[in-house]
Order: sequence, then C-alpha cells, then structure tokens
Amino acid sequence: MKAFPLFSCVLAILLGLAGCNKKSESQNNGGGKQLLVALLPKSKGNQYFVTVEKGARTAASELGVQLLFDGPLDTDAAKQNEIVENWITQDVDVIAAAAENKAGLSSALKKAEAKGIKVITYDSDANTDARSLFVNQATAQGIGEVLMDTAAKLCNEEGEFAIITATLTAGNMNEWRKHIEARLAAKYPKMKLIATNPCDDNKDKAQQEATNLIGANPNLKCIMAICSPAVPGAAEAVKQAGKIGQIKVLGLGLPKENRAYVKAGITQAVILWKVEDLGYLTIQAAKALAEGKLKPGDKTFKAGRLGEVQMEGDNIVLGKPFVFDAGNIDQFDF
Amino acid sequence: MTSPRRSWKHWFLRHECILLVVLVAEIFLFDALGRKFLTGANIANIVRQSTEIGLLALVMTPIILTGGIDLSVGSLMGLCAVAFGMLWGELGWSPWLAMAGAVVVGALGGGLNATLITRLRLPPLIVTLGTYSLFRGLAEGLTGGTKAYSSFPDSFLELGNGFALGVPVQVWIFVVVAIGIWLLVHRTTIGRSFRAIGFSPEGTRYAGIPVGRRLGLAYAMAGAVAGLAAVIFVSRVAEARASAGVGYELRAITAVVLGGTSIFGGTGTVAGTLLGVAAIAVLENGLLRIPGVPRELFGIFTGALLLLALAAGVVTRAWANRRVAEPKAAVE
Repeated sequence: MKAFPLFSCVLAILLGLAGCNKKSESQNNGGGKQLLVALLPKSKGNQYFVTVEKGARTAASELGVQLLFDGPLDTDAAKQNEIVENWITQDVDVIAAAAENKAGLSSALKKAEAKGIKVITYDSDANTDARSLFVNQATAQGIGEVLMDTAAKLCNEEGEFAIITATLTAGNMNEWRKHIEARLAAKYPKMKLIATNPCDDNKDKAQQEATNLIGANPNLKCIMAICSPAVPGAAEAVKQAGKIGQIKVLGLGLPKENRAYVKAGITQAVILWKVEDLGYLTIQAAKALAEGKLKPGDKTFKAGRLGEVQMEGDNIVLGKPFVFDAGNIDQFDF
Repeated sequence: MTSPRRSWKHWFLRHECILLVVLVAEIFLFDALGRKFLTGANIANIVRQSTEIGLLALVMTPIILTGGIDLSVGSLMGLCAVAFGMLWGELGWSPWLAMAGAVVVGALGGGLNATLITRLRLPPLIVTLGTYSLFRGLAEGLTGGTKAYSSFPDSFLELGNGFALGVPVQVWIFVVVAIGIWLLVHRTTIGRSFRAIGFSPEGTRYAGIPVGRRLGLAYAMAGAVAGLAAVIFVSRVAEARASAGVGYELRAITAVVLGGTSIFGGTGTVAGTLLGVAAIAVLENGLLRIPGVPRELFGIFTGALLLLALAAGVVTRAWANRRVAEPKAAVE
C-alpha cells in the first residue's frame, strides 16, 4: 500500500509540468490579437439563451471577435462561478454574464475585474460594483408604455380592461404597473382598469382568475397578462368562455409558448424584446468597452445594425419592447 | 511470492497505476489542445473546484469498502450550507463558529443514516435514498427554496478563494482529511474491519468485531465531512443556499469506483480514490478548454473513462495472471 508516495508523485508531476509551462502564459498578450469575449447565459439549454447566442454570434463575426459561449446545462448558480473562474485563467478579454444569482456571481466577476478583465452584464444584472455596464433589455417605463399603448390600440382606446399579475408584491411587476397606470391616466381617458388580480406565476391560477373576471364583468374588453404564465392562461380562459375576439388578450411572454393562441386569433399581441438583438448588442458593447470606445455615462452608443442605442448611466438600453402578433410571430423561435 | 520482479510487476499492473497513466495522458493531451491549461492559476482552479467532491469521495471510500453506499451526502451539503447560513445570518454566530455548527449538523445527519442502517438493519441504498430527499427537502423548506445568505466577511471568503503558503487554502483542509482517511483505512484495524465487513458482514460479526459501531463511524464521518465540504463550497461561491451540492454524491461515487474500489465492498484504496477524483477533475477542466468542445461532451467522456478504466483493469489483470501462471505450470 504505497499510496502516498504514489499520490505525491502525481502532485510532483502536475506541479513540475506547471512550472515548465510558464512560458505559454506570456505568449498571448501581443498586440493585434483577436479579442476574446466570453458570454455566460443563465442556462445553456434554455431557448431564450440559445437565441441570445445566435445574435451574439452574428455580432462576433461582424466584428471579428472570438466568442466563447458556455453556461450551466440547467440553472446552477455555483456552476456559473466555476465557469467564470475558468475563463479568468484563460485570459479572456471581456466577460459578459447574465447572473442567475446576483451576490454569488458578483464575487466571481469581481475576481475577473481584479485580473484586468472587462466585465459587463446583460439580461439579469449583478451587483453594480462587479461590472462596468449592464445591457438592459427593457426599462420598466418602456415595458409599461408598450403594454398600455398596445392594449389601447386593441380596444380602440375605450372600455374596461383587467390586469393579471404574478403577485401583488413582485417588485418589477409593480414597477411596470406604475407605468401602465401613468400612461393610462395621461393618454387614454375613455379606458378603465377594473381589476388587478394575482395568479402566483401559475398558469392554471391565471386561467381561473381570467374566467372569474370574464364571468363577473360582461363589459370586459381586454385582459392584460404581465407575467408570462398568465398569457396562455388568460387565452385558455377566453377560449373556453367562447369569447374569442370579443375579449382581447395581450401580455408579456415568449412568442413560442403563445404561438398557437396567436395563430388562432385568441391572443392578439405578445410583448417582449427581441432576444436575438440582446445578444447582438451585448457583444457590440463588449468590443467597444474593450477598445475604450464606450464607457459608463455616455449618452448613446452606436451598435452595428441596431444603430444608435440609448444609454442611461451605466445601462445600455436595448430599446422599446417588440410586439409579436399573428403577422410576425412565425419568424421567431424562442 | 515477494521476489522483487514479481512485486514490481504487481505494482505496475495495479489499477492505480493504470489510472495514473490515464491522468498523465490527459494532462499531456489537454496541454497540447486546451487553452492555457497547464498554468499555475488553472491548476489552482482545478484543485479548488474539486475539493468538495474530493472530500465526499474520500469519506465515501470507507463506506463503499464496507459494501455500503451513501446517496445523501450531496443533499446533506445543501442542508449544512443552509444551517451555516442561518447560524451566521440569523443567529449572528461568527463564520468559524457557524462552520463548527455546520459540521455538527452534518455529523447528526450522518448519524441518522448510521442509526437507521445499523439499528433497523435497513439497506444503506434505501436509507440514504430516503435521507437524500429528506435533507434536501429540509434545506429547501428552511429557506423557502429561494432565500440565500451572502455578503460574508472577506476573512471567511478567503477559505474558498485565498491562498495559504502558495496553494489554495482549502487544499490544506483536504490534505489533512486525506491523510486522516488514509491512515484510518490503511494503517488501523478499523480500516481492516471496513474491508472485512465488505467481504462478509456476518463473518466479521462472528469474529467479534463491532460491525454496527464501525458502520456508524463510517456514515457519521461522511456526514461531518459533508458539513465541512458545504462550508468550503459556501465560501468558494460566496453564497449559502439550499441547492449546494446537487448531484455531488454521484460524482463522488463515480470517482471512488473509477479509483478501483469495488462497489460490492472489500477492496479498494484511498490513493485510487484520489486519482479518480483527479482524473475526472482534469477531464472536465481540460475538455472545456479545447475550443469548440461543448459542455455536454463531459458526461460522455466521464462515462467512457469510467467504463474503459474498469475494463482495462480487468483485461490487464487477466493477462498478467496468465503470464504469471504459465511458468508455474511448467515447473509442475
């Protein structure tokens, strides 16, 4: 049982090899090298992030940037840290991350910054001291206004409508509601918000809430679902009540899970940002940041095919959310 | 029997040696193909990222030697991480006191396994399958599945991210545990009794060895070390939440089996386990550094490595036995 000599042998070999390979560490810092950008999704298999990657690849080939795309196979905060730590030792130039877990990932991102790697976040921000910029897919104001404007258009700017939300305490949704209500008061005097009901982020509960709303309010013209499970939930309720077309449905969600309802004319509009553009913009920002052409506090940023993009402080804003409807929903695969 | 030539050959054909060759081959391969694989910083990374699984594999070794298994250690890590977070975050304990608390919680969890296995004589697979769900469920219940503890003091984060005497801090803990387990398994009568239990639990009992107490020790030790691994994990990722250690039990078992320990018990070495842990850790890290290799391939390669290493062991030993047997037959 010469176990320990054996093990120390392995250690010695490992460390010895490490020592004689130091040369390779200094090789890659020469000028004129391709920029190496690492893109971290919350999870790799999620269609949302697959679409992000598609946009990122487009930008990378336009800009001549080498792109690494890797993430946990399912949402795994600890794995995200490991991936970032491994990128640090590969001397990547920029890390662009969507944080599954704000505090946890921030500690790894800070390490990257300490090693001179530029860090940005997209989709889901980390702590502000762990990154230089956040590529923000949509502001609360943008989401609220597009939701309200679309609802008004569907109802010819008059009549009763109701909101289904996740919970009455969800921070981001309350922020959206604030902007929906402000827009309503400012622009659409003939429309009336009759109820705001929670569905606990659950499709079945949303369907039940929508059914109750339809039963109790004969003049209801429109249901606005602001959490993603509620969009198909409300559509199912409208379908079962036999009110297709009489009661309009719109909401925030993924085009894919609403496609059938949109094509059947039950749901009129699904609202979300163009996810592919989010990936595209993230890589554009990564390159510009690495080259010193972009810094927090700039007013606008010229991002390839997206043109001039607005900035708010250290946020780069993708723009107004996009409205998916029967005419265009087939073009999107997420 | 113990002529130098024979023992040299015997040593060379041991499973550990085959694994060592695999490991060195991996290192050369990844050095040639991978991006900045053999750098001090990356080796530190490999070591850091495999410490927790390595600790679990170390304490899994005596358990598998007895013919048992512990599927609950990964879940117990989750429970201990949450316990650590609560002791520090809710009760205001210092991180080091909370660390001791987490180890105690781990030992209690392991003790529960031990009690059910030895007192009720339930099969370890069933007992730990139950506690696998139970511990994770408790961890999720205590935090509502979402609450996480973070913003630990920097002095505590050093444990998972800092260096001491030139190597990652947790390496020292790992080395101490490894030496302890090695001494226990290979240099004490307790270790010998683990193997005896693996060969024949009833025979061992008739030989007057307190089988229950020995098994209890193995499972309680696994629990305590799972608690230790949980705290190191929390320090490394700077966050304590219920999902700590998901899937770690199977990775630890894979490393132990890859290291040559028989899943039926009785045979196996701590050195083999260490090599198994290293072979898998190097494989994962190196593979993902080769440009264009997707993460999904890691599972395929781990599976292939495990099956090939075990098959190679069987084939070479059969070949060696034949070669050794031939001259003997000629003499007779």
